[in-house]
Amino acid sequence: MKSTAVVSDAGLQARPSRREHGHNPTVPRGGKRPSWKKRSAPWAYMAPSMIVLLLMTVAPAIFIFYSAFRNDKILGGAGRFVGLNNFIEAVTNASVRHAFLITFAFVAVAVILEMLLGFALALPLAAQTTANKVGAALMLLPFAVTPAVAAMIFKQLLNPNYGWVGYYLGYLGFPRGIDLLGDPTSAWIVLIILDMWQWTPFIALILMAGLQSLPGEPREAALVDGATPWQMFRHITLPAMVPFIAIAAVLRTIQAFKTFDAFKILTGGGPGESTEIINLGIFRVGLQSFNVGLACALGVIFLIILSLLIPIMLRVIGRQSDPEEM
Amino acid sequence: MTTTAPSVRRGLIARVIIGRTFLWAWLIVGLVPLLFMLVTSIKPAGLANQIPPAWLFTPTLENYASVLSAGGGKSESFGQLLLNSAIVSLGATLLAIAVGVPAAYALTMREFRARKGLSSWILSTYMFPPIVAVIPIFVFAGRLGLIDTYPVLIVPYAAFNLPIVVWILRSSILQLPYEIQEAAMVDGASSWNILRRIIWPLLVPSVATAAVLTIVLSWNEFLFALSLTRSGAKTAPVGLQQFTGMYGTDWGNITSAATLIVAPILVLMIILRRQMVAGLSFGAVK
Repeated sequence: MKSTAVVSDAGLQARPSRREHGHNPTVPRGGKRPSWKKRSAPWAYMAPSMIVLLLMTVAPAIFIFYSAFRNDKILGGAGRFVGLNNFIEAVTNASVRHAFLITFAFVAVAVILEMLLGFALALPLAAQTTANKVGAALMLLPFAVTPAVAAMIFKQLLNPNYGWVGYYLGYLGFPRGIDLLGDPTSAWIVLIILDMWQWTPFIALILMAGLQSLPGEPREAALVDGATPWQMFRHITLPAMVPFIAIAAVLRTIQAFKTFDAFKILTGGGPGESTEIINLGIFRVGLQSFNVGLACALGVIFLIILSLLIPIMLRVIGRQSDPEEM
Repeated sequence: MTTTAPSVRRGLIARVIIGRTFLWAWLIVGLVPLLFMLVTSIKPAGLANQIPPAWLFTPTLENYASVLSAGGGKSESFGQLLLNSAIVSLGATLLAIAVGVPAAYALTMREFRARKGLSSWILSTYMFPPIVAVIPIFVFAGRLGLIDTYPVLIVPYAAFNLPIVVWILRSSILQLPYEIQEAAMVDGASSWNILRRIIWPLLVPSVATAAVLTIVLSWNEFLFALSLTRSGAKTAPVGLQQFTGMYGTDWGNITSAATLIVAPILVLMIILRRQMVAGLSFGAVK
């Protein structure tokens, strides 16, 4: 038993990989158990990625869990342990509650509208014609625009004095020089429209790819049986599209929770605090008011809420990308 | 069937017409902001923010020239900011690919017991909100004196794109026939040689997709660049904001700068449309 292991080990040793060179392989304990070298190789390949991810996600997470219980300021001044004070402030503060609530409202409204519109656009786009290829390329354009640039362009289009939107809305009976970003309701409408402009194409293109991958036979059979278009959509297309709808919805929800650029540039959270979503709130508290403790407490709460989405993501994306592995 | 066919056909035709009208209306309206950006960027000075909007004018490149050349009282020109963006994006991409390829390979090794757990962990880091990471990284970078340097953007960008990179590459490796690897193993090839000589050549197209995706997402990033740079490593999307204060409301300059930021990304996206969508869905949609 031992001798066979040594032989197989010698075979490996004859061609030491660069990474493993210099290591002394321990004697395997059982004949079937791979050598230490063989077992450690995957870890060696994984290590660089794990270091980067530990540095950029796990270490920050540990830091915010630690700082959330302290009253550190970024600019000097030794902080001290303050217990749950930051969390109590986070939970009792009305503007924080508002920030969380409008974040959820924004994500829900944006994702639902974009899913509905994306599907409506994907259906005519799915037929593989030359016109549709041009259409799909055009559709990608808004999606490709740098979000910060998109927000900047929207801001200029909406400029009350010189913007195209205010000017041309004048022809439709709106007052000339309307300031759409000056009023909370219209500012929200603009933010939703910007998000839809940018992200509906992403959903439409995912769903388009889904529609194109569906087999044609069930539809043909239904057509032969005299199904109406609605019946066909409801009973054949829609059920087959569920995995793609799930992927688009999950990815878009995660991205929507990360939205920052558009709000920062277009409204800066205003007017007042009416559009200050939690991302902007954490940025303002932490990096502008330098109240690190409170910002970290908000970060902890946000992180915990978002981590509830992880199992859904693993299910939807993981299962779909490789059914055998997950 | 013969009796229902005409009504079915009418319903289908009506639906197709409504659908196509809606599709093309969306596409045309969606292009308005881009049209505004492009048209304003080539308007002569003085015409850019004229109301009613001027539609007939002699196009000029003077806005581009002024944006690229003048520092406008600032230490860095917009050309420098574009260069910073390019350095940071390419650096992040090289790092993400360099650590992502071996990781993706490890996550497909059959004897690697932890591969499922680690795959899930890497995928789940995609959930991590950048706003939660930016304050700790700001504090760490401040203590290390790294604020306003390239690495302070390169490493986070690589990290935040790693879930996508690793998952795209991992799915691609899993799609290769395992028999090739087995044959090499029988011949006594080490895992490193299998990766380098067998998997890597077949993986190049997927690596290209992952790389372009990382370039695009890094180029577009705003939050980290805004928080962690001052002037030396400031990227173009952040620099764009400064134009408002710098030139008042000189729309010609802002829109030409915006066009310079967006143009390379638009070109990459159009060329690699299918791959982009597949990539951004972690390879779950082909």
